[in-house]
Amino acid sequence: MNELSRRKFLKGGLAGGAMVSLLGKSSKSEAAPSFGGYPDSMGVLVDLTRCVGCRSCEAACNKEQGLPAPDLPFDDMSVLEEKRRTSEGAYTVVNKYEIPGKDHPLYRKMQCNHCNEPACLTSCFVNAYRKTPEGAVMYDPTVCVGCRTCMIACPFYVPAYSYSSVLNPVIKKCIFCYETRLKFGRPPACVEACPKEVLTFGKRTNLLKIAHDRIRNYPDKYVDQVYGEKEVGGTAWMYLSSAPFEEVGFDTHLGNDPIINYVKEFLTVVPMVLTIWPALFAGFHLLATRKDVQNKENSAGK
Amino acid sequence: MNRFIAQGKTPLAAHVSTDGMTMWSVKEKLLLGLTPKEYVAQAIRNPLNWLFAVIFIFGGAITVGRFIFGLSYVTHSSYDYPWGLFLGWGLFVMVPLSASGFMLGTTVEVFGRHDFKPIERLALLNGLLGYLFAVIFLQVDLGQPWRLIYPMFVSLGPAAVLFLVAWHVATYLSVQVAELLPAFAEWVNWPGLKKTVKSMILGLTISGIILSTLHQGALGALFTYAPGKVHPLWISAPFQWFHFFCSSIFAGLCMLIVVSTLCKKFMAWRCDDNFLNNLDRLTLGLAKGSALALITYLVIKIIGVAHDGDWGYLASGWGQWFMLEMFIGVILPIILFTIAIKNNMVGLARFTAFITVLGIALNRLNTALITFNWKLYQEIPHWREVVIVITIYSLFIVTYRFILYRLPILYTWKK
Amino acid sequence: MQMDHIPKLTMRIILAMVLAFGTAQISSAMDGPDAVELNALAELYGPVNFDHTMHTDIAGDCAVCHHHTTGTPPQDPRCAKCHAKSGPADEVACQSCHAAKRFEAEYLNKLAADNTIYHVDRLGLKAAYHQRCMGCHEESGAPNGCQDCHTRNDAGDKVFHAGQYAPPPSAHKAKEGH
Repeated sequence: MNELSRRKFLKGGLAGGAMVSLLGKSSKSEAAPSFGGYPDSMGVLVDLTRCVGCRSCEAACNKEQGLPAPDLPFDDMSVLEEKRRTSEGAYTVVNKYEIPGKDHPLYRKMQCNHCNEPACLTSCFVNAYRKTPEGAVMYDPTVCVGCRTCMIACPFYVPAYSYSSVLNPVIKKCIFCYETRLKFGRPPACVEACPKEVLTFGKRTNLLKIAHDRIRNYPDKYVDQVYGEKEVGGTAWMYLSSAPFEEVGFDTHLGNDPIINYVKEFLTVVPMVLTIWPALFAGFHLLATRKDVQNKENSAGK
Repeated sequence: MNRFIAQGKTPLAAHVSTDGMTMWSVKEKLLLGLTPKEYVAQAIRNPLNWLFAVIFIFGGAITVGRFIFGLSYVTHSSYDYPWGLFLGWGLFVMVPLSASGFMLGTTVEVFGRHDFKPIERLALLNGLLGYLFAVIFLQVDLGQPWRLIYPMFVSLGPAAVLFLVAWHVATYLSVQVAELLPAFAEWVNWPGLKKTVKSMILGLTISGIILSTLHQGALGALFTYAPGKVHPLWISAPFQWFHFFCSSIFAGLCMLIVVSTLCKKFMAWRCDDNFLNNLDRLTLGLAKGSALALITYLVIKIIGVAHDGDWGYLASGWGQWFMLEMFIGVILPIILFTIAIKNNMVGLARFTAFITVLGIALNRLNTALITFNWKLYQEIPHWREVVIVITIYSLFIVTYRFILYRLPILYTWKK
Repeated sequence: MQMDHIPKLTMRIILAMVLAFGTAQISSAMDGPDAVELNALAELYGPVNFDHTMHTDIAGDCAVCHHHTTGTPPQDPRCAKCHAKSGPADEVACQSCHAAKRFEAEYLNKLAADNTIYHVDRLGLKAAYHQRCMGCHEESGAPNGCQDCHTRNDAGDKVFHAGQYAPPPSAHKAKEGH
């Protein structure tokens, strides 16, 4: 259970850090392997080559999650003319990308990618996020303080915030229909609504096999990359495309390290400072004030 | 106040009035030994107070509006820029400028440089108030400020950098309150309290160093959660915490030079000879410390760029902006501080400290707002957001002044 | 276009219908039914009347839609490797191979339990229809919009916030102004 021990390490690292400052105990800081994701977690493979931009997924999401009425009907395709992002009223949006040299535009559905090692989760100081074994990244609004670090941390710009609420502003994002569907082994509403099976729901490990099979069987159709297989440590939602991913709005410079890996450099410094500084500076103090002490002793001796 | 001193009044600096007969009451101490009428008269005569009055009436209303109508009333409600000026200025600029507390605490108490004593309390107060108002800025920005203690007691996320910031800022605030208690104890005449704190001062100071190192660094480490969003020249994951920590050293020292200069210029009546006569010498001492920290910072900044292989970016528009920041905020101060120290030019050191403070503010705003989302679009803060920042910063100045007028910070309490 | 929830009752109706269709197919051998009423999206859309005879005429080859199941050799050489001589299947209805509940646990578990299944990436029923229909309709210039084939019913309008449930135009304008 490497993944568990690593989480414990991270928690232990800083919890220990906080403790050290209070109790003076040390924490162990051995390097731990990367968390590869829960073995049986579910995911969705999004095949951009199949999408026609009908926005049925958006409508289904709106209904399933009880979101507010949209500004325009879901069958109004004029919204595709501008690039949209997820918001407090829309957990998923479809954007259109004209690809140079291609007859047809590509459509890209956006929603929370449900990372294996979510940046939002690791950045949250009240532990409001959790990754369920089924693969969903869940958010608990009852403990959220509203610091919005998760929005800073999310490499995909997914979490939105209900700024307009005075008494209970909260993070709004796709939750993989966890409470109503995923928990019961059922696919999320968007997957069920999609007429062309752009969205394939299944175990993440199986989806990866399917994705690579599709690339192998139709090498002319697909770019040889499954976006989300490795990006930021892997995501539950993954993508196949016929155009290079940067041409369909994906950030291809995110790297394969989970976001927490960039923070680790600092996290390892914490226990060192906590343990070394007191001795170091007490030592400095003794050295710096040595003359004062000697002077005192001398004057006492005389 | 100068007018009253010209009339023969002396600023209150002891428990016993000038005739040596009556003990000052707390109310009289609060009024600086003036009658209420005189106190109001001097307050009205000060044009700065009129400016503050306008800011508080207008800005206060908008600040109240933020809590009545929500964050969307005062900000652009941006999903892409979740942090605006409240944190960009209030947290990321205020906190490094408040590093003076632990720097001078260390110099005096740990390194035994008692010659810096005349300015130690000002440094501690600058630290305490800076942190306090950073928390107040945070409270304006948080969606649910009434849950501020959640990370401490209700739902703990100990693996997060912000968890460390929260705990350390909270702990460090208490440490700073404790460090300043002797000044308060003198003022209210509780000698027992002063003695207790004095006995713990070395422990308090060292814990101050630990907490400061970590949370100054942690503020930098917060941006390592967004390695792809901040422009590569402003972020270097392995060095980010050290960049922030190292720059907080000269930021705190330079802020102390700026504040002490303002005190000397506008509050000379409140300073005693011990402060005024030593200030020029101490300013150059602080300048020396700043110059050393600036050189270290310059070197590790260059190492950061070299380590990440970001040289290519220097030729871009962002690169020129970066070099401008480095020149105004780091290289120019190093040159000017060196000239000032070599030639004993206190005025130049003060001017340099001022531009260094601006430089560090630019660095933090660059990291948190200006180069953040460099691949997206630039967001200009809502005007109400700017008004609230000005209002709270004014409140900071007024509080600062209120305490400086009263507690023995710039002067020594007479027994 | 939109297939939100398929209530059990609807599913039963579809099942019954497809079973009937299946039997018809066996009895009439190669001819197939004249027309099929496709009603899998009954919750949000009216039924689609599929003119099977007309499409048979246009396609010419059963394999265009039915792959290898009608006994004609499959067109895709990849399929031909196994199915060149596999002969007609017992069931040729779309429904018999393309699962209506493609992503429900029951089907996924069936896939997981049997490692001899080759077609683990087989489309569900709704996608099989749409991939096939829309692909040809686009190539041939036939109507290809959602509502060209599906008339959305009141419940569908509600989900899509369209028709009488469309947001007032002022709502959009007001948001844009801000």
